[in-house]
Amino acid sequence: MTSTPSIEVRQLCRSYGPLQALRAVSFTVATGQVVGFLGPNGAGKSTTLRILAGALAATSGQAFVGGVDVAADPLRVKRLLGYLPERPPVHDDMRVRACVRYAAILKGVADPDAATARALARTDLDDVAERLVGHLSKGYRQRVGLAQALVHDPRVLLLDEPTSGLDPAQRTQVRALVRELARGDVTVLLSTHVLGEVEALCDGVVVLHRGQVTAQGPLDALATAAPLRVRVARPAGLAAAVGALPGVARVDVGEPDGTFWVHGDAVPTADVARVAAAHDLLDLTRPGGLEATYLAATGGAA
Amino acid sequence: MRVVLAIAGRDLRALLHHATGWAVAAGFLLLAGVFWLALLDGYVVHGQEQLYDPYSSVQLSLTNHLLAPYFGNLTVLVLFVAPAVAMRSFADEVRAGTVALLATSPITAWQIVLGKYLGSLGYVLVLVAATLWMPLSLLAWTVPDPGAVVGGYLATVLLAATVVAIGTLVSATTEHPLVALVLTFALTLVLWIVGWVDPDPTSPIGQLSLAVHVQDMIHGALRRSDLSYFALLVGWCLFATWQRVLAWRYA
Repeated sequence: MTSTPSIEVRQLCRSYGPLQALRAVSFTVATGQVVGFLGPNGAGKSTTLRILAGALAATSGQAFVGGVDVAADPLRVKRLLGYLPERPPVHDDMRVRACVRYAAILKGVADPDAATARALARTDLDDVAERLVGHLSKGYRQRVGLAQALVHDPRVLLLDEPTSGLDPAQRTQVRALVRELARGDVTVLLSTHVLGEVEALCDGVVVLHRGQVTAQGPLDALATAAPLRVRVARPAGLAAAVGALPGVARVDVGEPDGTFWVHGDAVPTADVARVAAAHDLLDLTRPGGLEATYLAATGGAA
Repeated sequence: MRVVLAIAGRDLRALLHHATGWAVAAGFLLLAGVFWLALLDGYVVHGQEQLYDPYSSVQLSLTNHLLAPYFGNLTVLVLFVAPAVAMRSFADEVRAGTVALLATSPITAWQIVLGKYLGSLGYVLVLVAATLWMPLSLLAWTVPDPGAVVGGYLATVLLAATVVAIGTLVSATTEHPLVALVLTFALTLVLWIVGWVDPDPTSPIGQLSLAVHVQDMIHGALRRSDLSYFALLVGWCLFATWQRVLAWRYA
């Protein structure tokens, strides 16, 4: 892994009429990293990916792939990246092999037949290579889309919910493929709703909420920055006492009664436990690191 | 060029995959055949009548009484067939979401437009080529005026090129093939009949008409102004389609 960003987004804004889908979004993804792109529906994830893929123009701001400005030289960027949209762009009236070969030609591959054979093998589609795409299940169609995105050996891969519609075995295969790609120095930006997938695959996370980046960083750091959950039998006065501790940014009241969320960059767990003990401490946890971070970043928790 | 041909080839195969493609082909060839046989039958009957009436004022000519009416019918058939073929070119891709593959591949908007255009035009030209046997079958009895045959087919091909260009442009503005079909047909029909407003074919309105530019060519007269008219119309439609494809990024 190197520190050169493969993907860099600077102050990206995008409006659809009066609706502001992206508001000054900025983040970077280093070469060879797999970064989870999280956020609720409508947060602006797909819009960001489409701008990076050159399919959509930004209202303002800049996006770079491999150091190349997407708006200034879109063709060069498109050669560098593979993009799998949420709805795979596969033609129902084509056979799987022809569909992937067509993508290989569009992407300027010198030997489309060899590249197609490689992509089909990588996505485990050899068995259905001569079947019509329109006759395939959703999971297979998703994999045909993935084969199209991979066929020109891109350096950067943008995957918009690549495992949606896949059964557990197929999901595992896609995850293994993403892991293998990352080992080969391919940078992956993976949009998903499955937090477990991010924890299993990603080095870092970018959380988007209402068109803004609300959390980003390496997975480990974000997990430890997750809020602490404290549950006591006698809640009266606890919020004020814990809030006064150094390193505590704020204390939110949660559910059920007697539950508190303690936020801060360096929450002193031992001190919080000592204060809470005086209020009959029942429980003190940092629940599911990433989940808590995600919920906190999207206004879904505490 | 490889990309343009790949896009055109894909669209051609898609037309053969869909029932629409076959229905259009069957309807076109059936009607063209019926028109040809009816005109041929009429020509033979008139010829026999003249044998018994050598002083008839009507001088039967192969060009004026068989080939010109045949190509007149063939061009009218093209007005129906070309919109039906071109309606899917962009509309289907947008509706199915496959347009994302084109939009994110390292290809230019011109390559996309030309590929789509040539795919639809190629299909119509294959259909037109399948009618060649009709006038060529005359060679078994006589030699038709080559100017009339070449002019007739040139008019048909140029008309097809123009209507497909209009259809490609309209298809790029909607995701509903049926809307594209109706709009293209309406636009083409207006261009066909606009000459009726002014019976003088040399007037500015007459010069706008597709029919006026087709008529003389069918009779074997090839004029630079007619060729320029078709070239301009095709060029403008493809330019507008190109602009439309560029605008995808701002949708």
